[in-house]
Amino acid sequence: MKKVLGVALGVLTAIGGFVDIGDLVTNAVVGSRFGLSLVWVVALGVVGICLFASMAGRVAAVSGRATFEIIRERLGPKAAGANLVASFAINLLTLTAEIGGIALALHLVSSVEPRLWIPVAALAVWLVLWRVKFQVMENVAGLMGLLLVGFGVALFLLGPDWGELMRQAVPPSPPSTEHAAAYWYYAVALFGAAMTPYEVFFFSSGAVEERWTAKDLTMNRANVLIGFPLGGLLSVAIAACAAVVLLPAGIEVSSLSQIVLPVAQAGGVLLLALVIVGIVAATFGAALETALSSGYSLAQYLGWSWGKFRRPARAARFHVTMVVAILLGVGILMTSVDPIAVTEMSVVFSAVALPLTYVPILVVANDPQYMGRHVNGRVVNALGTVYLVIVVVAAVAAIPLMIATGAGS
Amino acid sequence: MTRERMVDARLHLLSRQVLDADGEPVRAVDDLELVGPGGQPARAGAEVRVGAILVGPVLFVRLFGGAVPVSRQPRIAWEDVGHVGTAIELTVPSDRLDADWVEHWLRDHVVGRVPGGRHDPEADG
Repeated sequence: MKKVLGVALGVLTAIGGFVDIGDLVTNAVVGSRFGLSLVWVVALGVVGICLFASMAGRVAAVSGRATFEIIRERLGPKAAGANLVASFAINLLTLTAEIGGIALALHLVSSVEPRLWIPVAALAVWLVLWRVKFQVMENVAGLMGLLLVGFGVALFLLGPDWGELMRQAVPPSPPSTEHAAAYWYYAVALFGAAMTPYEVFFFSSGAVEERWTAKDLTMNRANVLIGFPLGGLLSVAIAACAAVVLLPAGIEVSSLSQIVLPVAQAGGVLLLALVIVGIVAATFGAALETALSSGYSLAQYLGWSWGKFRRPARAARFHVTMVVAILLGVGILMTSVDPIAVTEMSVVFSAVALPLTYVPILVVANDPQYMGRHVNGRVVNALGTVYLVIVVVAAVAAIPLMIATGAGS
Repeated sequence: MTRERMVDARLHLLSRQVLDADGEPVRAVDDLELVGPGGQPARAGAEVRVGAILVGPVLFVRLFGGAVPVSRQPRIAWEDVGHVGTAIELTVPSDRLDADWVEHWLRDHVVGRVPGGRHDPEADG
């Protein structure tokens, strides 16, 4: 019974923790411009993140080595160092976007200027990192993030023409007013948002934090294979809400208030309030994950002691790194840059960095010295190889598409 | 120590995680120091062995070139290594390693002094 509850809790937190500011913004933007014609990318991204997150979790559980230790070991200090610089920068950008997202959501309910909320949000993030137990942190943020189900409820309340939504999705048919390059630019952005590398750093390091062993592999698989696809459905619901309300009205999403507009229209104040709590929880949870990931990646590359399961004084450099990352994020936001714009940048650059993270995981998951009898099976390897090709194509295409489309405009 | 297993420096030593006697991470292996018989400097044509694990500034030397003064080079003596597996396990606690001084300095002067810095997160609350 306890085991069933454990699996259920893990699945629920995986659903609630799946959506972050990147998924939220990108799905709403895409929904408002392209309808559901990019849903196939969400599906592709969800299968990819399931594949590699469960692989990274398995490597961490069996070998006790987290992802960036493996990246350094396999790629050597030079290539891994370049990877670290890129990953750290993107991670910082994502952290900035998440803290900005918390502030924007709190601004919606309080009409206090976001810039006043930013330091409050950052301080709250640090306090949780400093003090709260890892499992408690994960579960609370994940469960409250489940309130984003409100987007799904809103979709049903809106009573859309389901046939029309299906027609947009299969076969993918973008509106004729949009340029093909913009379509593919947002395809890459959506893919980057679903497969952000920080999720893999966080997932594998989290497995070490929670002291997983080979016995926990079933749990790992259940969390990922059930939780992430359901989380992906939340992403689709966000896009669908935008497709039903914003697309016909010709509204292009550029603020958080527009993202939640369909929810307010369908469910009134109550549903809106619930969804905003969900957004605060989801962005807060993701801010914790990205802040931790900045510490994880640097500490694992250099071999420092790391982890929330240690007393902060026993992982001093790790905690200092996270504080510096949070302060840098606050500094960027204080220039009054638009967090939504930062988010859109971060998901595209995530797509560029994908191969750097996923290649070493695939290699080590096949190394019997680390994995013993838990090496990848044939199906997983075949899928992994296919995804490597997709990931490389997306990474190579990202920057040219960005330039060609003027970042999608 | 390795019982007839071949140890490849690049594959099994460099960039591996170093753990102290309590299993706490210390650093990753940034470089290796080779010495000749009797602790003499390594010479071409003569027998050499691994004298120490080098960490810290030497990493930047490997990445960008340059040199670190020998006296400023943090090192972990090879005699302190107990086992070479997927991590390199030492037989001494990290408190006794000069190579880990940055961690100790931050612990004693910054992180340990902030309220809650020595709080055990695994204990309740």
